[in-house]
Amino acid sequence: MTRCLFNARLAGVFMLALVLSACARTPVLLDSTREEIAPRTELGEVPFYAQTEYQCGPASLAMVLEHQGETASIEALIRQVYVPGREGSLQPEMLAAVRRHGLIAYPIRPTLDALLAHLDADEPVVVLQNLSLPLYPMWHYAVAIGYDLPRETLILRSGEIPRHTLSLARFDATWARSQRWGFVVKPPGELATGVSVRSAIEAISAFEAVQGPSTALDSWQALVERHPDSALGWFALGNARYADGKPGEAVDAFETATRQDPALGAAWLNLGLLLTQLDQPGAITAFERAAALEGPWQSKAREHLGH
Amino acid sequence: MKTLRASLSSLLILALVITSLPVVAATPAASELMSTQSVLASDQAGSDRQRINDVLARADVQQALVNQGVSPADVQERVAALSDSEARQMADRLDELPAGAGVVGALFAVFVILLITDILGLTDVYPFTR
Repeated sequence: MTRCLFNARLAGVFMLALVLSACARTPVLLDSTREEIAPRTELGEVPFYAQTEYQCGPASLAMVLEHQGETASIEALIRQVYVPGREGSLQPEMLAAVRRHGLIAYPIRPTLDALLAHLDADEPVVVLQNLSLPLYPMWHYAVAIGYDLPRETLILRSGEIPRHTLSLARFDATWARSQRWGFVVKPPGELATGVSVRSAIEAISAFEAVQGPSTALDSWQALVERHPDSALGWFALGNARYADGKPGEAVDAFETATRQDPALGAAWLNLGLLLTQLDQPGAITAFERAAALEGPWQSKAREHLGH
Repeated sequence: MKTLRASLSSLLILALVITSLPVVAATPAASELMSTQSVLASDQAGSDRQRINDVLARADVQQALVNQGVSPADVQERVAALSDSEARQMADRLDELPAGAGVVGALFAVFVILLITDILGLTDVYPFTR
């Protein structure tokens, strides 16, 4: 009994400490962030849909989709993301639903600096918060639409509140509990500000798997324009060009990929296969390079070399 | 579920064996190029085992979502829109993933009420109020 009481007291102290630490901590922004972004911004043109019951996921999606000119009814979105047994919507399905509407969802870098930079670039961000304490989680999706640095506040479209203003500190405390998860929505051909190359490639590739390579072509093009040194980006562009019926342009992309990263065996293999098909010289060299590198491309490359 | 998995596995193995038989045509077909998705899953990229696992993960997610009350009419398209890594994530920990639900307030209200009632000496839930 005493042990039980002691545990309860300990838990109480722990919770009090949690509450206090959540209130007290003011998030620190990088100096460069403060210099680079405007002191305040608000994307007033983002529409608002109030959530009903547990439907903050579909409501948040409706807001960011419509902001990109894609109208989607809440009822349709509920059927695409809501999980009745969990009384809520899950992160992977939120991203998947965006793809089904012909748009690309880019998960953002998990920092407050990145969030504010997106808002400064006119990109509303869907964020996942835990409004309560980790012990009794209350997970919630909202749409960040603005901030005010002098006042240290953030502006959300949240739940039933069209313009929910709260301190950056309080917001960050609730956001940190989801490992600062959030995403922005972009049409094909446009990249989101500041997302990492790898996560952009994964986002476009997932979109491509749902909507087809010719729809993703513009996004791959935009990716290699912003990140010309990304071998994986050039490789993906090569695949999309080939699937779109442009094998000649695909060869150029695969060649650039092998120049940027000579250890990318998959690019050597695809280059060899394409050169063989187009009856152009260089196929043997490409297969030899692929065969010399360890990876899943090795066996196929050796097959084409005849050993 | 077990039998579904088993029959699906054998079907997949059969399909993979057939598709991996040497093709007579000399020119490579589009499917022969290594896909971007398979390179992204670089650890076991493109291996047959990985492809079987991915298909099974999707079947698992589909079943789990139906168990959680998602309409069978919707579930197939929902799972098809997931990337391979997302499908794996859902299959591994569907019950643990946070489900964003929103400002329902019930739990928090209970917390606040209990806190106040504790201070008033009417309940005995939070020892730190004394």
